[in-house]
Parts: sequence; C-alpha cells; structure tokens
Amino acid sequence: MSADLDPDAALMLRVKQGDTVAFTGLVDKYKQPVLNLAFRMLHDLTEAEDLAQNVFVQVYKSAHRYEVSSKFSTWLFTITRNLSLNEIRRRTRHPAASLDATHPESEDQPLYQVEDRKTRSPPESLLQGELEQKIEEALADLPENQRLAILLCRQEELSYEDIARVLGCSLSATKSLIHRGRETLKIRIKRYLSAGAWSGPESTQL
Amino acid sequence: MKTDPVLERLREASWRRKLTPAEEAQLQSLLAAHADARADWAAEAALNGALNRLPAAPVPSNFTARVLDAVERETRTPAKTRHFGWSWLNRPLRWLPRTAFVVLVVGVGSIAYHHDVIEKRKARAQSLLTVSELPAMASPEILEDFDAIQAMGQAPAADQELLSLLQ
Repeated sequence: MSADLDPDAALMLRVKQGDTVAFTGLVDKYKQPVLNLAFRMLHDLTEAEDLAQNVFVQVYKSAHRYEVSSKFSTWLFTITRNLSLNEIRRRTRHPAASLDATHPESEDQPLYQVEDRKTRSPPESLLQGELEQKIEEALADLPENQRLAILLCRQEELSYEDIARVLGCSLSATKSLIHRGRETLKIRIKRYLSAGAWSGPESTQL
Repeated sequence: MKTDPVLERLREASWRRKLTPAEEAQLQSLLAAHADARADWAAEAALNGALNRLPAAPVPSNFTARVLDAVERETRTPAKTRHFGWSWLNRPLRWLPRTAFVVLVVGVGSIAYHHDVIEKRKARAQSLLTVSELPAMASPEILEDFDAIQAMGQAPAADQELLSLLQ
C-alpha cells in the first residue's frame, strides 16, 4: 500500500520526520475509536484515557519503526490491543478495590460513589440506561479476545483481514471469535433483543 | 440455512456495517424463501442495533494537548543523551557503582584474611623460638625423690603450746 492510497500512512511519513502537525491530525482522527476500545476493555474511563494517551505516545516514539506497507489503523489498534491486555494482566496481578464493594461501616452504601455523567430525561434514561448497562455487562463478561474481535468489527475502516492481523490469528479464527461472542451476547440479552428495545436511532460510534 | 453462502456473506457484512439496499433486498428474498431463518436474523439485527447504540466514551477536550505534552516529556531526556553520543556508556555506567562496591568488599576481605594468616604464622614462629631458647632440662634421676621432698613441705604446723612449755 503506498502513501498515496492511505492518507494516514502519508501523515505517518511526516510524523517520522518529526512533523507535530501531522501527528496532531492522527490523534484528532483516532482518539475517539482508541478511547472507546480502551474504555470497553478496561471499564474505567480514567484508566482508558491514560491508556489512550500512552497509545499515541507509543505511536510517536515508534514512528521510525512504522512501515508504510502496513495500514496505519491496523498498527494503531494493535498497539491499543497490546497495551490493553498488558493493563488487564497487571490488574490481575495487583487487583484494585471494586467499585461495587460496600462501605465497611454501612453495608447498604457503596464504597465509592461516582458521578453519573449521562444526562437524559428520567423515563428515557431509565430504559436506555438499563439496556446499555445490560449490553455493557454482557460485553464485559466475554473473553478478552472475543470482546476485542467484536469491538474491532465495528470499526468501519478495518476489514476482517485487518482485524485478524490486530488479533494475531487467522481469518477463520477471527470470524469464529466474532460468531461465538455474538452468540453469547444474544443469549445474555435475549429478553431485551426480543422486546425490540433497540429500535430507536443508532449512534455512529461503538 | 446457516450454511447458505450468500446468507453467511450477508451476515458477516451486517456484523461490520449497515447492509446496502441491494444487499437488503437480497436478504429479504432469501428470508421469504426460508422462514425458519427469520427469527435468527431478527436477533442478529437487534444485536447490531444494540452494539451501534452503545454511547461513545467521552473524550476530554484537552486530550490532544495532553498527548502532545506527554510526547514532549517522553522525548526530551533521551534526545539529550543521544545528542552527546553517550548512550553506549549508559548501560555499563549504570552497573559501575555496584560493581565497584562488590570489588571493594571482596578486596578488603581478602586483604584482612591474608593479614590474619600472616599474623598467626608469626605468632607460631615466635612460640617455637621461645621454646628453642630454653636451657636443656635436668636429668630425670634428679626427680626420683621429687614426691617425698614435696611432701616434706606439707608437714603439720609446729605445736606452739608445747614449745612455750618447754621454754
């Protein structure tokens, strides 16, 4: 793939030369999908922001290793995947206190109280919030590679071959991961799916 | 029905994006012929809708500025090191203090040990010299009545009362 075909690769060539403007362009273009992926892998917005920041720092520091023959988004999501899995493994070795943990002095109070940033009218918020929570929970319970495969699948710029490269497995294994993950999700939220709860307008980003 | 290659292709396409009108028409004609697949497709479509409606994570307004600051911080220090060409020295120099400390401890220990060995040898030689300078011992016959002579020194004390009466 030449730099003429992939505008991101052309920007990366400029980043290699130390062009900060080109780097800023890439950050602005990909910060949302990278943060979305990090957030759905880690389930912590602050940690996801830090991880997304590290992803772009790694991109800048490793710019000299980037080969124009590979697609930039594939390379970027591979870095995101690796850092996310490292963070998940680090958490496994050093588990932190759960946000669901109860207060030691009052069992009906949570240990931590986090501000809800979503603002919706009460009835809509109640239904939509519950549905989102169910799908988020079901996604979170999937094995990491199935979750990653499903999340990457929603990135329009990535083909199945690209997703396979990011995951480091074959094309058939990638499709199998997506299929198995989706089957699990369908079972977990069957009640909501059959009720047509998601019949409203779709958002454009996962 | 799941093994129908056209239906599988459409299913895989629907996982990634919204089907085109032509694909949608093709799907509807296939489903019209295979009513048993409709429920499965309804679930697929509902799941696609559910995944598409998940809210995006809020990106902080200063995110790009934070990234640029972090890049600046990360690249500043190594750049200085590269500029002066000392990077090849970094690795060995990092171990130099530890290595020097180990060498010092081993050296001091070794010197102390050898000093101790030499001192002991000197003391042993001095003892031998002292013994060798002693005069030759008397003949063993002289000691023949040694016990009797020693016992004489242990005789009972004189009877002072009797002595005074005699005087």
